[in-house]
Amino acid sequence: MNLITKISNMIPKKKSNDGALTATVFALIVMVLIQSVVMGINAGSFGGMFGKMGMAWMNILRNNSYAGVIAMGMCLIIISGGIDLSVGSAICANGAFVMYLLDEANGPLAAMGITGTPAYIITVIASIIFGFLLGEINGCLIAYGKLPPFIATLGTMKIFRSVTQELCKQFNPVVPDGFKMITSVKIFGQVVLPIVYWVVIAIIIHIIFKKTAFGRQVIAVGSNERAAKLSGINVSGVKRRIYAITGALCSVASIIYIARIGSMDFANAGSGYEMDAIAAVIVGGTSMAGGRGSIVGAFVGMLIMGVMNNILNSVGVPTFLCDAVKGAIIIFAVMLQMVQGKKKA
Amino acid sequence: MQVEMNHICKSFGANNVLTDISFSIKSGEVCALLGENGAGKSTLMNILGGVLEPDAGTIELDGKAVSFSSPVDSLDAGIGFVHQELNLVNDLTVYENMFLTHLKNKGAFLDVKYMQSEVKALFDRMNLDIDPNAMVRDLDASYKQIVEICRALLQNASIIIMDEPTTSLTEKEIECVFDMMRKLKRENVGIVFISHKLNEVMEICDTYSVLRDGKVVASGNVSDTNTREIAANMVGHEVIQDEHIPAEYGDEVLRVEDLSDGKNFKNVSFSVKAGEILGITGLLGDGRSELCQTIFGAMGGNYTGKVLLCGREIHHTQTYQAVESGIAYLPRNRKENSIIKDMSILDNGSIVVLHKIRKGPFIDFAKQEELFSKQSSKMRVKMDSAEDLITRLSGGNQQKVVLAKWLMSNPKVLILDNPTQGVDIGAKEEIYDIIQQLAKQGTAIMVLSSEAQEIIRVCDRSLIMYHGQVVSQVSGEDMTERNIMYFAAGGSLAQQEAASAANGAGGSLTTPEAASAANGAGGSLTTQDDASAANGAANSEEEQKE
Repeated sequence: MNLITKISNMIPKKKSNDGALTATVFALIVMVLIQSVVMGINAGSFGGMFGKMGMAWMNILRNNSYAGVIAMGMCLIIISGGIDLSVGSAICANGAFVMYLLDEANGPLAAMGITGTPAYIITVIASIIFGFLLGEINGCLIAYGKLPPFIATLGTMKIFRSVTQELCKQFNPVVPDGFKMITSVKIFGQVVLPIVYWVVIAIIIHIIFKKTAFGRQVIAVGSNERAAKLSGINVSGVKRRIYAITGALCSVASIIYIARIGSMDFANAGSGYEMDAIAAVIVGGTSMAGGRGSIVGAFVGMLIMGVMNNILNSVGVPTFLCDAVKGAIIIFAVMLQMVQGKKKA
Repeated sequence: MQVEMNHICKSFGANNVLTDISFSIKSGEVCALLGENGAGKSTLMNILGGVLEPDAGTIELDGKAVSFSSPVDSLDAGIGFVHQELNLVNDLTVYENMFLTHLKNKGAFLDVKYMQSEVKALFDRMNLDIDPNAMVRDLDASYKQIVEICRALLQNASIIIMDEPTTSLTEKEIECVFDMMRKLKRENVGIVFISHKLNEVMEICDTYSVLRDGKVVASGNVSDTNTREIAANMVGHEVIQDEHIPAEYGDEVLRVEDLSDGKNFKNVSFSVKAGEILGITGLLGDGRSELCQTIFGAMGGNYTGKVLLCGREIHHTQTYQAVESGIAYLPRNRKENSIIKDMSILDNGSIVVLHKIRKGPFIDFAKQEELFSKQSSKMRVKMDSAEDLITRLSGGNQQKVVLAKWLMSNPKVLILDNPTQGVDIGAKEEIYDIIQQLAKQGTAIMVLSSEAQEIIRVCDRSLIMYHGQVVSQVSGEDMTERNIMYFAAGGSLAQQEAASAANGAGGSLTTPEAASAANGAGGSLTTQDDASAANGAANSEEEQKE
């Protein structure tokens, strides 16, 4: 703990409640410094280092965009005092739905004679509605069924994936190349659209969280649900909406996933994303107890995990050990935030 | 044992909480430590209890200097600390809780027999009828308090610090704790008793020290002073209580007919007019909170009977519906039910109307600030910045913020459940003033309280509930502590004369007049009168300002 206190003392401190976020940003800066040293050594020159760094960052942002999109919703859920384990399975279910709609051989849209761009637009809208409804299932179980979020979403996690796998046993669709344009259009010679989607969603969720009454209600429900209820807040409604928003974000993630990869393995797709998202949120300084947290933090948290992964690969840490290091990072980050949070302004 | 705390100083950042405080207590003495919220009582006792370390000053036990760096050190030295929030584990038995910090092993397993017999022996010695094997969750609040005191005794504490042990207890339970304290005194245990209730201090304590702004402003023997003098020392000026004059009534706003929920209350009927302040009082388990939470829609809307608001029947199953229709409910137990600890003062104070203060889809922050500062300055909330976390405010100021949030919704009916719980004397009187102002402006108000004095002070008339039923209604001259406590304890009109003095739960009654004080708080007549006179007031503060 002594070492952590010392490190914590090195971090400049602004306002009392920004302590955790400052620590997260500080951690990211340290990571990037380490990364540049590693890259520099590998490349042997400054110019080479910058080139490698650029490439590495494009990869980090792109590869984490799916889980990153989900982490934005997960962050709201955790601030409200809940958790959603079903997001990975929801991506899988959504993905199946998207591919079913897109299927040019046997799909319903093709049967109606709709193909090409109109079909893609309908698919995106329908899929977001579908994801929203899956989220509503979680929301209703938690808000009206009064189930603990952990249990409710553990249940739907199993249900979503197993039903998808059963329905898609014989399903072997081909994703039309046109649909892949959603992510593959190059800007400045780079595939950046997944990153753009992620950043836009992060900004939207951040604004909702910071600037609307709904954002304050999320904090109130997470901090003291009883007081929120006795202040006339529609607690059930707030909870339902948070899970529905996250459901819709799962759909966005699945669209990016399918457009980029072009297929989906229903047994494994999206599995583990829930833990990646939760880890990003926690590393980002959001309290598991609810009531305190930051969307920006969750975004930075996702980057930290990504940079970490990149560094570990670059220095040649055995693949199986990468997760151990990541686990250690989570523990270390949260300890740092605890110390940082206790410091007086 | 004699404890001397000399020239203690403590500051948090730039904030000097204690400056050069000296305090002493010896075995067999009950010493009252008094002061308003934020005066430094808890900080001083946390230093004695090893929770905090002083910046300067010494602590001496029987003349030997000691320093405590943790509660364990302090307990080893014989100082037990019973915190305001009880530190008992509900899911363990009484004996397990009492041995929690030093469980006794026999080989690899717990020595259950030994622990049970030790606890049993202690209870016998203290003449307490508590089963060591009972689950703590099944105990009454007063017994929990007693178990916690016994835990300190079990660890051979010869000085016990009790931080506001009576705030959440009913009168009967308070008497139960007082009995325990008298026994402890006979056992030569010293007690530091922190309380806001001056008549309790007069009854149970030998000596007192008054803190104000981190300094000792008065101390001495309780027998040489009266509550008026102590109250004046606490707030720093003479305390004057306003006369209560009912406002003019308008139309009937809320009418409740034959309301029952099948569990907590049955066949309750009453009505409140605009401008009227209706009290509801009773002992623990009278169902008044559940009744009002049902009206507020917080109990899910499962009831029979009718609730009419301005002549229209309403049936709320959710709290937001009630807020929408113009009902406001300030709940009891501020910490659990009202305060959102992770939000700022401003957000806490405007959360009820936040979704209405909008500019497009976003909160209109300028308007939010403006509306809140209008309310908070009207109520004189003392704060550095509205952006600070609510938890940085004292209890009284927190309560004012909670009240402000409800006033911002412009309610037709305002239900206040224990509005002055954990609020210090000055702020208490300010809150009473606000309530009366609101009545003048035509709000229908209901005040739920277990303190008869509060009901008499602020209400026009009062219902008295007993086990979920309204047993009586008092108003005007009938609204006396004696009547209220009599009905609250389940008495009926016919028996009243016969049993007039029999409802005292304790206290020594020597004169017939003193029967009016027989409400369990006991004490002699003179101090009782002083207590009600001194029961808080900041009005002279206003006068001084003007």
